[in-house]
Amino acid sequence: MNTGHLLSRERWEEAVEGLIRDYKIYAPVNLWGHMDYERINPENVKQIVYNFPRPITPLKTFFLPVKQNVSQSTVNEKMVILGVPSCDLQALHLLDAIYLDEKLPDTVYKKRRENTILIGSDCHQTLDSCHCTTYGINPYPESNIDILLNLIGDKIILEAHTEKGQDLVNNILSLVKSSAVEENTRQEILAAREKTKAELFNRNKNLPDYMTTGKLIRETNGTIWKKYAEDCVSCGACAASCPTCSCFLLIDRPGFEKIRNLDTCQYPGFERVAAGEDPLKPLSQRFKNRYMCKYVWKPVRYDAVACTGCGRCIDACIGRINKNELIVELMDKVTV
Amino acid sequence: MNNGFNPYDPVRARLIDIIDESPNIKTFRLEPEREFSFKTGEFIQLTLDGIGESPFTPSSSPYVNDRLDVTIMKAGYVTEKIHQLKGGEILGIRGPFGRGYPVEKFYGKEVIILGGGCGLAPIRSLLFELLEQKEKYKKVTLCYGSKTPTDCIYKPMFCDLNKVENFQCYRSVDVADDTWDGHVGVVTTLLDQINFRLENAVVVVCGPPVMMKFGTLKLLQIGFDPKDIYLSMEKNMSCGYGKCGHCMLGDTLVCKDGPVYTYDEVKNYDHIW
Ligand SMILES: Cc1cc2nc3c(=O)[nH]c(=O)nc-3n(C[C@H](O)[C@H](O)[C@H](O)COP(=O)(O)OP(=O)(O)OC[C@H]3O[C@@H](n4cnc5c(N)ncnc54)[C@H](O)[C@@H]3O)c2cc1C
Ligand code: SF4
Ligand code: FES
Repeated sequence: MNTGHLLSRERWEEAVEGLIRDYKIYAPVNLWGHMDYERINPENVKQIVYNFPRPITPLKTFFLPVKQNVSQSTVNEKMVILGVPSCDLQALHLLDAIYLDEKLPDTVYKKRRENTILIGSDCHQTLDSCHCTTYGINPYPESNIDILLNLIGDKIILEAHTEKGQDLVNNILSLVKSSAVEENTRQEILAAREKTKAELFNRNKNLPDYMTTGKLIRETNGTIWKKYAEDCVSCGACAASCPTCSCFLLIDRPGFEKIRNLDTCQYPGFERVAAGEDPLKPLSQRFKNRYMCKYVWKPVRYDAVACTGCGRCIDACIGRINKNELIVELMDKVTV
Repeated sequence: MNNGFNPYDPVRARLIDIIDESPNIKTFRLEPEREFSFKTGEFIQLTLDGIGESPFTPSSSPYVNDRLDVTIMKAGYVTEKIHQLKGGEILGIRGPFGRGYPVEKFYGKEVIILGGGCGLAPIRSLLFELLEQKEKYKKVTLCYGSKTPTDCIYKPMFCDLNKVENFQCYRSVDVADDTWDGHVGVVTTLLDQINFRLENAVVVVCGPPVMMKFGTLKLLQIGFDPKDIYLSMEKNMSCGYGKCGHCMLGDTLVCKDGPVYTYDEVKNYDHIW
């Protein structure tokens, strides 16, 4: 851990207010019992929730909005996203591998990534569906952050991880008073990490790791897909809430403009070609496709995990399909 | 990548000519506003302004880069609208995208081409490429099938092929009419009529899914190595350059790793036909 800076919560909130002029700031706020990113203004700055597990909306939507005109050059808006959990940061490895591929990067995505400062936070609580550690991800940010921010007691601890992050930290320190981080505060941060990790580990003991899950899914026969797909209505909520699902469809507008709409293989017609041929016509094939994509194909192609264990799809499913129940059922059926 | 480049912004191209090839296939000749080069077998995304975009493989010579031909079969919404064009309109082109035919690997070999229906579009471009450096190939044999004699496209070019040394063209129709005195039968039956040395031959197959499937099965039966059978995979496509996920074929993306694959590369994936 590099040397951090300690601020009282009050001073920190003053600093955030000061930054509102230069940045669009988003942070988790408690909205009627649901935690989600909100645009921060002087009125809600005190309502920011710290060190909470993943917000309802996955981080991806800041870089890949549900609907975006990709023909118009985007305005040079600087964004700060605060309180990003480890699972969503991990998802960026996959998204960046797809969208920032060196030969042909998506220049629209790239611009948004470059204009954003990511402030990650440790998870000091977990949600019932959280299972990041099952897939080898710690519940505290280890990559893809510009700044690490934690709230311990009523003190905010800031730690810059990139040059971009250091510039912002310097900016903050020029606005308000801070002090060095003491050893006992450091120990408190570490203890909180261990506590969350143990909690997640105990709750998810029965789940196979990422590699094993991939093998189970590759090797099973068709019956499990048909069984679980019976409760699926192709609403696409799993994909919309997923931090790594990033498929899209371009729609044409006059003037040779293209509108990018997030799409998913769960919708009918995703793979339809001329003459109506469609390998994913049966719902059970579409249902299976998502599992193959997450646990078998994407990890091979991009060398990154495509399921970060955030559990959003489990909470979002209106058919109450719990993918972890499916995976546990596979363990009983398939020997790997 | 150069700054300001937007992969979603099509290059404008004027439609300068329309050639009727068959009752439901036309060739559209486009003049891009700036030089546009492609390798044979690579594809483009063609935008009909405000209507939609579809992938097509240019059917013209990769050695010409001030205009390009796309041969389009009427198959649905966008293609129907394209067929209604009169000429003079401005269209949009994105690309070229994908991996085309690895012609260097064909040097010194016999190239057998098995084509059907609109699958002839990429094949015509490939023939232009092969003709350009014909001394590099041992022999080129085109086997081309169409439903009926009127569905046969590019007739003049194919008839002329027989005049080129080491090039041969065989045709068949599924259903004959009064004008036809040639071979009748699905295109794969032409394989029984041609001579080749299995050890030194590669086969390029392009056509509708059923043709690709039965063509490949027959080639395997004859004894071809799956690595020597080149297929063009058709998948739904949106972005064309590996981002949108529509064209996933197992852990590959057809718009990037394809559309040309060897059978060996795809044989283990579900739903390839
Ligand atoms: C790499 C490649 C090269 C091709 N080259 C040629 C060629 O040279 N000549 C030719 O005639 N045809 C070619 N095709 C097929 C051609 O792209 C389809 O016939 C065309 O997209 C059909 O569009 P449509 O709107 O007329 O059909 P519809 O069936 O009406 O399509 C409706 C919708 O379905 C989806 N859809 C259907 N088919 C496709 C598709 N193939 N790709 C993406 N979306 C699709 C789209 O969302 C489309 O808007 C090629 C296809 C691929 C993938
Ligand atoms: S899955 Fe892990 S990292 Fe993500 S919110 Fe839950 S505890 Fe935090
Ligand atoms: S067409 Fe978008 S990924 Fe291939």
